[in-house]
Amino acid sequence: MKLNIIQQRGLWWAISGALVLASLVAMAISWQQFGAPLRPGLDFAGGTRLQLTRACVTTDSCSEALDLSEVRQVLGQQGLDSSSLQVLGDDQQVLSVRTRTLDVDERTALQSALDEAIGPFDASSTQIDSVGPVIGKQLLVSGLLALLVSFAGIVIYLSLRFKLDYALLAILALAHDVTVTAGVFAVLGLVLGVEVDSLFIVSLLTIVGFSVNDTVVIYDRVRENLKLNPGTHINDIVDSAVNQTLSRSINTSLTTILPLVAIFIFGGQTLKYFALALIVGFLAGSYSSIFVASSLLALWRERTGQAYGDPDEAAPQPETQS
Amino acid sequence: MALTIAAVVVITQIPTRLGLDLRGGSQLTIQVQPTAAIPTISERDMEVVQSVVEGRVNGLGVSEAVVQQLGNNQLLVQLPGVSDPEQAERVLGGTAQLEFRAQRAGTDQQLAIENQVLQGHLGELAALQSNLPEGTTVEAETQARIERLQSDIQASEAAIANLFEPSNLGGDQLTDAIAGTDSAGRWVVSIRFNNEGGNRFAELTRAIAGTGRAIGIFLDNRLLSAPQVNVQYAETGITGGGAEISGSFTAESANELAIQLRGGALPLPVEVVENRTVGPTLGRDSIQRSLYAGLAGLALVLVFMAVYYRLPGVLADIALIIYALLTWAAFNLLGVTLTLPGIAGFILSIGMAVDANVLIFERTREELRSNKTLYRSVESGFFRAFSSILDGNVTTLISCLALFYFGAGLVKGFALTLGIGVLISMFTALTCTRTLMFLAISLPQFRRPNLFCPGLNTARPNPVRP
Repeated sequence: MKLNIIQQRGLWWAISGALVLASLVAMAISWQQFGAPLRPGLDFAGGTRLQLTRACVTTDSCSEALDLSEVRQVLGQQGLDSSSLQVLGDDQQVLSVRTRTLDVDERTALQSALDEAIGPFDASSTQIDSVGPVIGKQLLVSGLLALLVSFAGIVIYLSLRFKLDYALLAILALAHDVTVTAGVFAVLGLVLGVEVDSLFIVSLLTIVGFSVNDTVVIYDRVRENLKLNPGTHINDIVDSAVNQTLSRSINTSLTTILPLVAIFIFGGQTLKYFALALIVGFLAGSYSSIFVASSLLALWRERTGQAYGDPDEAAPQPETQS
Repeated sequence: MALTIAAVVVITQIPTRLGLDLRGGSQLTIQVQPTAAIPTISERDMEVVQSVVEGRVNGLGVSEAVVQQLGNNQLLVQLPGVSDPEQAERVLGGTAQLEFRAQRAGTDQQLAIENQVLQGHLGELAALQSNLPEGTTVEAETQARIERLQSDIQASEAAIANLFEPSNLGGDQLTDAIAGTDSAGRWVVSIRFNNEGGNRFAELTRAIAGTGRAIGIFLDNRLLSAPQVNVQYAETGITGGGAEISGSFTAESANELAIQLRGGALPLPVEVVENRTVGPTLGRDSIQRSLYAGLAGLALVLVFMAVYYRLPGVLADIALIIYALLTWAAFNLLGVTLTLPGIAGFILSIGMAVDANVLIFERTREELRSNKTLYRSVESGFFRAFSSILDGNVTTLISCLALFYFGAGLVKGFALTLGIGVLISMFTALTCTRTLMFLAISLPQFRRPNLFCPGLNTARPNPVRP
């Protein structure tokens, strides 16, 4: 298999551009709906979530799935009409209620009212997440700060190891990966009501740290080829570098995505979307490394008059590595 | 090899520490609210509030509870295996209530007995909890005993509180409490009241001086100390707005009491702003699911490597298993608390650990295709892939550092496991795989390029190198 990266670069850029544009549109729509580019989860918006599991061992009430209208009635009595409800679990016996932030008395009242109406619940399977607005803001700010700092850290590191233009283009590719991942989750938020929490920011950061690997492998090879063949046009250098490193780009992503798929399938509620975000980000990362970062480098070098390696040593050499 | 054996020993000997989301329990974030009187919260205030909260946590009788300062106005409280999160949240919130109360007449014996009962309960509870296997869930029987003891302790404390008369001398009238030594070099705690408090204290001490009755100093309704008042104060009480509490203090216990008293004097309300509680059954489910996910992920990667890269792939698989063992051992040794995202980080790091091997093997194949000898190819495969491996891992580590530095709680766990994983993977890829590879090519039956690069001579024609 041989990919013509440079020849068809218009196509690759169009695909990336369309993805980024679609992501931005999705985020704009959710901005209108939720006042945020992605549907904010409990961590950021604040609120209380109760996850209750019906105790099935002691009663025979478990034959039927949970009745949400009963739950709504209870919520109405507690003045919590605007809460969102979800029934989870294989036998539909797990109830998840999300409300505004409740203090401990309100929460206990709600819990015992629910227990009376549709319980009893198993106390050892209860999950409570209650996040005040202060904490929510704190989590968001620290998450975004971490994202910015790691972006900056990677630019600095790459520009120490490579030239600055490599570093900036690698970051551009990263921004692409992060945007596309966020876009996919904006769409998921709009369509399936998927929310983003602190783990989503973690996944973005991991994507940032990992996706740059593929780009680095390719740029490493470009640099090496430039040294070996200073007389070859940058387009050919990039083309052969991408093709030489293609199987390792694919395999490194594959070996990382395989365990993530395992987490996605077996990992349970909390980790499912975390794994999905990583999978989307890593796929976008592989794509942008192979097709976008490489061709942008060629374009940049060509435009700035650096189409050939070190001009002083530009002796014609007929052969390239393949 | 020695390392691997050591790793297995470590894994079996030192238990893995599980986070609250896996073993069940509550994690509360408590925010200290500034008031009109104290608009900014100082470092010293936080220390004092922390001691108040620690006192309340101890009152809950939860084993291995942790109270940590978080930022400059928050406290993080971890309560593993707590059975009643509502009660915990109620007890931990609110302003400290310090009160000086006079002992009721004729209750000396009762106080001594109740105190003995309480100490007995506390001792039993401490003994029970110190025998608990760390990091695992507690058996139902032991759990029931602990809960019974906890309610007994609460009953004892209430009984003791009943032996004292309520008073109007509280923490708001106490201005300071300092631990120090008296002229004889014994540790004492000096307390100081404001004017009004000084008068009330004089009144209180006059009433009980020389009677053998004590002043009960209560924080949140629990008796901190019950000093007696010497007979010489029977006329006037202790006047002047200050007093010294002496007794069999050590430097440590005197300081502790002083801090607790200051905590009682500090009218800073605390509020629970975050509560994350996971029931123990849910935690067990999560462990099981993550275990499946981890094993399935590992299996997929192992199969892929063996099929795609043949002999080196199998060697990399061995290195990968060694890697997983070493990393797990490192978690136990460093005392890393494993959370659910932490397990995800670990599983992810398995996938990333292979990457280094992929880079090396691809490079080796390339060298083989350009007609180098097997030995030279392997050698330069390692050598030339190194810079890519280094760059890739350093960028991941940068992200981990940022996450660890800025992240909170669960996020930190992920950053830590992924970071440790990446560091160890560099080591195993560059040493373990390398040793195994050179060992393999030193054996004649493995010294066939086909095992390293299937279809080497037929796949595609190689350009003839000059």
